Amino acid sequence: MTVLEEPIKEKILLRNYIGGEWTESEGEYQEIMNPATGKIIAKVPFSSEKEVTEAVEGAKEAFSEWRRTTPLARVRCLYRLKELLEENFEQLSRIQTMEHGKTIDESRGETRRGIENVEVATGIPSLMMGENLEDIARGIDEYLVRQPLGVFACIAPFNFPFMVPLWFAPYAVTTGNCIIVKPSPRDPISQVKLAELVDEAGFPPGVWSLVHGGEKVASALLEHPDIEGACFVGSTPVAKKIYQKCGQVGKRVVAQGGAKNFVVIMPDADLEKTIPSLMTSFYGNTGQRCLSGAVALVVGNDVFYKEFVQRFCDAASQIKTGYGLDEGTQMGPMQSREGKERVLRYIEKGISEGAKLTLDGRKAEVEGEYPETCFLSPTVFENVSSDMSIGKEEIFGPVASIMRAANLDEAINMIHRNPYGNAASIFTSSGRSAREFKYRVVCGNIGVNIGIAAPMAFFPFSGMKDSFFGILHGQGKEAVRFFTESKVVIQRWW
Amino acid sequence: MKFQTASQIVNFAIRIEEKSEKLYEKLVEEYPQEKEIFSTLLKENRKNKLWIQRAYNEIVSDALETGFSFEGVSADKSLAEDSMNEGSSDSVLEGVLEREERIQKFYQDTAEKSKAFLADLPRVFERIAKKQDNRKKIIRSLSGR
Repeated sequence: MTVLEEPIKEKILLRNYIGGEWTESEGEYQEIMNPATGKIIAKVPFSSEKEVTEAVEGAKEAFSEWRRTTPLARVRCLYRLKELLEENFEQLSRIQTMEHGKTIDESRGETRRGIENVEVATGIPSLMMGENLEDIARGIDEYLVRQPLGVFACIAPFNFPFMVPLWFAPYAVTTGNCIIVKPSPRDPISQVKLAELVDEAGFPPGVWSLVHGGEKVASALLEHPDIEGACFVGSTPVAKKIYQKCGQVGKRVVAQGGAKNFVVIMPDADLEKTIPSLMTSFYGNTGQRCLSGAVALVVGNDVFYKEFVQRFCDAASQIKTGYGLDEGTQMGPMQSREGKERVLRYIEKGISEGAKLTLDGRKAEVEGEYPETCFLSPTVFENVSSDMSIGKEEIFGPVASIMRAANLDEAINMIHRNPYGNAASIFTSSGRSAREFKYRVVCGNIGVNIGIAAPMAFFPFSGMKDSFFGILHGQGKEAVRFFTESKVVIQRWW
Repeated sequence: MKFQTASQIVNFAIRIEEKSEKLYEKLVEEYPQEKEIFSTLLKENRKNKLWIQRAYNEIVSDALETGFSFEGVSADKSLAEDSMNEGSSDSVLEGVLEREERIQKFYQDTAEKSKAFLADLPRVFERIAKKQDNRKKIIRSLSGR
């Protein structure tokens, strides 16, 4: 058992980064616990409305100069940030494990995915280019330019504390906007480290700010008249509320909500390769991701079904749960005590609504000497139906619900009965089934023999139905469109 | 020693390369007449270490099966420990050759096991395993000199 060294040795008092300065907040503080060890590692402030106003004013002031800075010069700041991120790769990853609980492999993966967005955004001089056409009428030319809008807010979730703000911030700043990031108060430490690197990279004061807090800070940001738009990732009820709020006052918004992702296993699936993928899909990040598998929908006869369940449960029961900094750990704890309690309530509901608890993960088997506070082991339910709470609602934890469908048509219909549309996957060796699946399923991210259909940085992080509110998505070209206004110029010279 | 995660495997492979590097540094000191050959081998170890670290850090993704790609892979723990036979130069070389063979097998097994999941890492492991053939040939050529 190799436990990697913890990068946080003493409790840190977190500060805001406003107008290029690190400032101590006047708000109340809340403790942040390492969910694996139970140790308090930091204190985060809940900033005041006044501090939000200061951040917005600082960003607004920075905008007028920053938008006039050449795209190449803006991108050079990002190149420096990319270098600093690589230099601090391991430290950033270990911080995520300490604040969130995920395994070190998962944290490194999160760091990499964040960096990939920085890399893509360095292409802004090309990505931001407009279009033109000569002679739309004799002697008249028309062209389109993309211009930045001003100050944006990013309200980030707890499940990917480092990566999610990077779906947006690099594109926002390189297109000439300024951004204020409000990380989740549950695990904001990696965002503080990121802001330190932003500072070191030489972004002008106010271009990239960080304000800690909860709902009040989020509301103050959204309601501020100088905030042009918001990026949100979190639960569906909040995403819907933010979408409505922004719509009422004419702000741009990307609002990503929750999910209930179905994974269809066809009888021709290669189970040997499928099972490790499913373990990552259902139990990776301890099931706390909007692309996690939630329902394993098995198509096929009883023999295939039994074989699948046997293999799935065998693999799930062998998953090593422990501290994410122990390199042998395959699943970390839940991020919080409340999160664990919510999952436990869902397991109770599953039992009371008549599902069969095939693998009970309520009593966690933890590797090493760690308190049980946030740990759970993998859980598997069978005989789950679409009308049960565990069959239709987002659990956001390491619980797999196994359902059955007679054929692919029925499986697709079952997926469509669910209000969410974030992701769906199919495991099959038939090209025809795979094509049919990707063609018909109404979900934003489709996986074919892929357990987690996570789009790369150069593709939009999609989402449909109750999983997404807005038009343009985070990442890649859509992010560039989101952060810019298209201005069309028609000109004639006499 | 059994493995499960990519992090474990990568860490172990890096330790193997570091130990090999140390071993050849020692051989350079003890057999100055073969300095050039052993220096080439230890430089290769340094390069391998870099390749492994890069391949992992650059492809690692939370969406890939990093936690489950190496389940069932096992290796002899002593590969990542200091080891050098005592005695005549032939006996020392015999030990070195045997170690290179075991390292090759480790890389081959690991590459095979993870092929379906982590494209770049198995490719690097395969490449290192292939290079072992040449290393073994070089070491064999030193025996009996």
